[in-house]
Amino acid sequence: MSELPATDLSSFQGLIQTLQNYWSDQGCVILQPLDMEVGAGTFHPATFIRAIGPEPWRAAYVQPSRRPTDGRYGENPNRLQHYFQFQVLLKPSPDNFQELYLGSLEALGFDTLVHDIRFVEDDWESPTLGAWGLGWEIWLNGMEVSQFTYFQQIGGLECQPVSGEITYGIERLAMYLQGVDSIFDLVWGRGPQGVVTYGDIYHQNEVEQSTYNFELADTDALFHWFDVCEAQCQLLVEKRLPLPAYEQVMKASHAFNLLDARHAISVTERQRFILRVRSLSRSVAECYYETREALGFPLIKKDVADE
Amino acid sequence: MSSDCLIEIGTEELPPRALQSLAQNFASLVTQALADHSLAPGSVEVFATPRRLAMLLRDTPLQQAEQLIEKRGPALDGAFDADGNPSRAALGFAASCGVDIDKLERRKTEKGSWLYFCKTQAGRSLQDLLPELVAAALTSLPIPKRMRWGDRSEVFVRPVKWLVLMVGSEVVEAEIFGLRSGNRSFGHRFHAPMALEIPSASEYEEILLSQGWVIASFDQRRDTIRNLVEQDATRLGGIAKIDDALLDEVTALVEYPVSVCGEFDAEFLELPVEVLVSTMQENQKYFALFDGKGEMLPHFIAISNIDSRKPEMVVSGNERVIRPRFADAGFFFAQDQKQGLDLMRIRLDAVVFQDKLGSLGDKTNRIIRLAKYIASYADVDQDLVRRAADLSKADLMSDMVGEFPKLQGVMGCYYARHQQEEQSVCDAIEQHYWPRHAGDRVPRDPIAQAVALADRLDSLIGIFAIGEKPGGDKDPFALRRAALGVLRIIVENQLTLDLADLCQVAADGYFRQVDAKAAIAEVIEYVFDRQRAYYQEQNIGFDVVDAVAYSRPGMLYDCDLRIRAVQEFQSHEAAPALAAANKRISNILKKQEHVEPDVDTGLLQEKAEKLLFKQLQALKQGVAKQVSGGAYLKGLEQLAELRPAVDTFFDEVMVMVDDAALQNNRLALLDQLLQSFRLVADFSRIKS
Repeated sequence: MSELPATDLSSFQGLIQTLQNYWSDQGCVILQPLDMEVGAGTFHPATFIRAIGPEPWRAAYVQPSRRPTDGRYGENPNRLQHYFQFQVLLKPSPDNFQELYLGSLEALGFDTLVHDIRFVEDDWESPTLGAWGLGWEIWLNGMEVSQFTYFQQIGGLECQPVSGEITYGIERLAMYLQGVDSIFDLVWGRGPQGVVTYGDIYHQNEVEQSTYNFELADTDALFHWFDVCEAQCQLLVEKRLPLPAYEQVMKASHAFNLLDARHAISVTERQRFILRVRSLSRSVAECYYETREALGFPLIKKDVADE
Repeated sequence: MSSDCLIEIGTEELPPRALQSLAQNFASLVTQALADHSLAPGSVEVFATPRRLAMLLRDTPLQQAEQLIEKRGPALDGAFDADGNPSRAALGFAASCGVDIDKLERRKTEKGSWLYFCKTQAGRSLQDLLPELVAAALTSLPIPKRMRWGDRSEVFVRPVKWLVLMVGSEVVEAEIFGLRSGNRSFGHRFHAPMALEIPSASEYEEILLSQGWVIASFDQRRDTIRNLVEQDATRLGGIAKIDDALLDEVTALVEYPVSVCGEFDAEFLELPVEVLVSTMQENQKYFALFDGKGEMLPHFIAISNIDSRKPEMVVSGNERVIRPRFADAGFFFAQDQKQGLDLMRIRLDAVVFQDKLGSLGDKTNRIIRLAKYIASYADVDQDLVRRAADLSKADLMSDMVGEFPKLQGVMGCYYARHQQEEQSVCDAIEQHYWPRHAGDRVPRDPIAQAVALADRLDSLIGIFAIGEKPGGDKDPFALRRAALGVLRIIVENQLTLDLADLCQVAADGYFRQVDAKAAIAEVIEYVFDRQRAYYQEQNIGFDVVDAVAYSRPGMLYDCDLRIRAVQEFQSHEAAPALAAANKRISNILKKQEHVEPDVDTGLLQEKAEKLLFKQLQALKQGVAKQVSGGAYLKGLEQLAELRPAVDTFFDEVMVMVDDAALQNNRLALLDQLLQSFRLVADFSRIKS
C-alpha cells in the first residue's frame, strides 16, 4: 500500500479526505455527490445504475442523504433529516473485500487489536429499488458504524457479477474519533476564526427543514408531483433514456418520503406507492441494461486492456 | 483400518441464529453419506464459529470393502438360438458390460434362467470419496437465504474463504467452491491472522485454541461465556439475566470471548425494566444485571471478540452506545404516554389486520363483542371488559412496540396505568397475550381470559374462513399457538365454556367481512388436534384423548376431567379386562343393524347373564349420578365392580345363539353395559 498523505482525523473533513485517499488507492474513482435529494448513497447512479450488468466498476463518494421522517428540529444529538454517507462500490466484490474495509478503519486510526470490531448479520432490502443483498452491519465496540452488502438483485435484475457495497455512517465515526456526544459538536474544519462545527453549518438547516418536512410541505402538490415524475419516467424509458428516467425515480421517491413524513399516506396506500416506485426502478434497470448491451458493455473491454 | 478425518469450511461471518443448525446439518449430511458408502465414522465432533463450519470424524474407515457387482441380462431362452448362437440382445448386453459373451454366467434360479454379469470391484478409498461427498453435502445443506459473491456462480450462506480436508495427517485433494483443499486453516481474524498448519486431523481443536485464538466448539464457547458472565455478575454484586437465546446468539458472534463490564446512568432505571432489558439484549446483545431483590443494576456485561490491548477503550465505546439507545427509548416512552392509548386505538382503524378481514380497528370491535359474550358467564363489570378489549391492541401503534415488537401488551399495560385505567383493564391488556409460549402462564383474571380467548378465536375463525389454514411450517398468524392458548386458558382455568358456541359467536362477528360459518367445524377440529398434542406432552396417549373427545368436541374442560379420570383409571386392576370387553362388545354391536333398547328379563336364561344384568341395574343409577356430578373416576370405579360378572358372562354365555330372541336380548344387555361406560368415555378406543 502506498504511503497515505497526512490527513487531519480530528476534523470531519479530514475523515472524509482519509476515506477518499484510502479508496482512491484501492482503485476507486472518487466521485462527487449526486446533486439531487436521495435517502441514501445507494441511490446515486454510481451505485444503483453501475451495479446493473456485467461491467466492472469501483467508485467511492460522499452522499448527502435526506430522510424527512428522521428530522428532530435539531434537538436530538444523534438524529438528523440531512446527513452524510460515505459510499464505496466494488464490482465485482473482491476476495479481500472485508480486509479492504478493515484497512480503511486502520487508516482512520482504529487499531484492530484495541477495538472490538465485528461483522454482525444484517440483510438489506430496498423495496422501492427492487433490490436486496446479504451482508453485515459492522460493530465498533458495540456501535454500528457501517453497512456491508453483497448485492444479489438490483432493479429486479440478478447481479452478475455481484457488487460489494460499503456504507459508512461518517458522523458516528467522527463522533467516536472526536469523543463528542452530539453530532452538532463535531469539528467540521478549522478556519481563521477557529473551529467550525457541524452545528455551525447545519443546525439551522435541521430546524427549518424539520418544520418544512413535518408541517409545511404541500401534500397536494407532492401527490401531483409524484404522478408527474411517474409519467415522465415511463415516457423516458419508452424513449430509451434510462439515465434521465432514473432521475425521475429518485424525484418520485423523495416526494413519497416527504408525504410519508407528513403522514399523508395510509398504511395500505403506502404499499401501493412503494410498488409504483419499484415498477419504475425495474423498468429503468432493464432499459439501462439494454442500452449498455447495445454499446457492447464498453467498460468490460477497458478492464481487459488494463490487465 | 480407520483414521480421523477433518473437514473445515472457512467463511466470512455466518448468520448467528443459523450457525448451530448449519454446522449440525452439515455434519449429519456428511456422516450419513459416509454411512451410505459403508464408511460410517466411529464418532463425530461438530465445530461452529462465526467463520467456520467444521467436523472431526473419529475412526472413519479408510477403505470400502470389496464390492460384488451383479447385472442381470436377457433370459436364457432369448439369449441363444437352437444352435447355441447368441442373439443380438445377448451380444448387446455383453458389450454393455465390456466383456465377451463367453465371460457371462448362465444362472438358473427358481424364477427362471438368465445371463448374468458378475465381477468383484475394489472398494473406493475414503480419500477418493470424500471430495464428492462433502461437495454434495454443501449443495444440499438447507440454507434459508443463499448468496453469490464476486463473479462466481456458486451459492452459499456467505462467501467461502478456505477449505481444510484431511485424513489423519494427509491432505485430501479436492476443489470445492473454487477453493483448493489443504491443511491450512485460519485462526482469529485479528489475534492470529496468518495461516495455521494443521499437522493432523485430531489436533485441529487444540491448534485452533493454542495458536489460533479460537474456541472451535460451540458448546465449549457457550460454557466459557456463561462462566465469564456469571463471574463478572458476582463481582459486581448482582445476578445476570442469561436467556438461552441470547447466550446462543452471543456464542455465535465470537471466536474468542472476552467479557466487558460497563455502566450506565442510574436515571435510566426509571424506564420500564422490560424496555431496558430489550434494549440491552436485542439491540446490543448485552447481559442485564439484577440485585438479590430483582431490581436492575446500572451495569451490563458484553462479550467482545478481542483480548484488547486497551480494554478500557472497549468498555467506554460500549458505554457510549447504550446511552443514546436508552435515551431514544426514554423519548419513545414519553411520546407514547403523551399520545395515550385512545389516540393509538383510533389509529388502528387505518392498519390492515388482513386484507379480507378488515383493519385492526375492525378486529378490535370483534374482540369487544366476543369478549363481552364470554365474560357474561363471569361476575365482572361488562364496562371494564369493553374497555380492556377496546384498548387491547392499541399499543401496537406505539413507538416502543414498533421498536420492540415483543413488548406488545407489556407497554400497553404501562400506558394504561399511566392514564389511570382500572387495574383489571391494565392487567387484561398485558395478560391477554398469555400464554406467549410453551410453558408460559395463562391469564387468571376473568377479564383477561375473556379478551385472550376472544382475540385468539377471532383470528382462528377469520383466517380459517378465508382458507389460510396453517400447514407445514406456514403459520404466519401463529394459529397453532393461538389454538393451544384457547385450550390451555379454558382447561387450566376450569372454564365451562363450549367451544362450538364461542366459535359460532366469533363467526357471527365477521358478518361485515366474510361468511365464516364453514370455519366453525374446522376450528373445532383444529383445536382437537392441539388437544391430542397437549395431553401427549403430559404422557397421556392419543387413545385416551380420542376415547373422550371424539364424541364431545369443544367441551374442553369437561373433556379434561374425563381424560384425567380415564388416565387414572388405566392403573386400576380391572381396567385392561374392561377395556378388552368394551372393544369386544363394540365389535359385536357394530355388525348389528338394530339393537333392542331394553332387556327382557324373561328371556334371561343363563346364571351369568342374570347376574350381569342384576349388577348393572344396581349400579346404573349411581354411576349416572356420579357422572352428571363430574366425578368421572368414581363412576368408573363403580363400573369396575362389574368386572367379575363381565368375565363370567363371556366365559359362560354364548351371545350369537341361533335363537333370535335370545340373541337380541343378550345384545341389548351388552349394549346397556357399553352405554354405561360411554357415559364417561368410549373405552373401545383405549389401546391395550
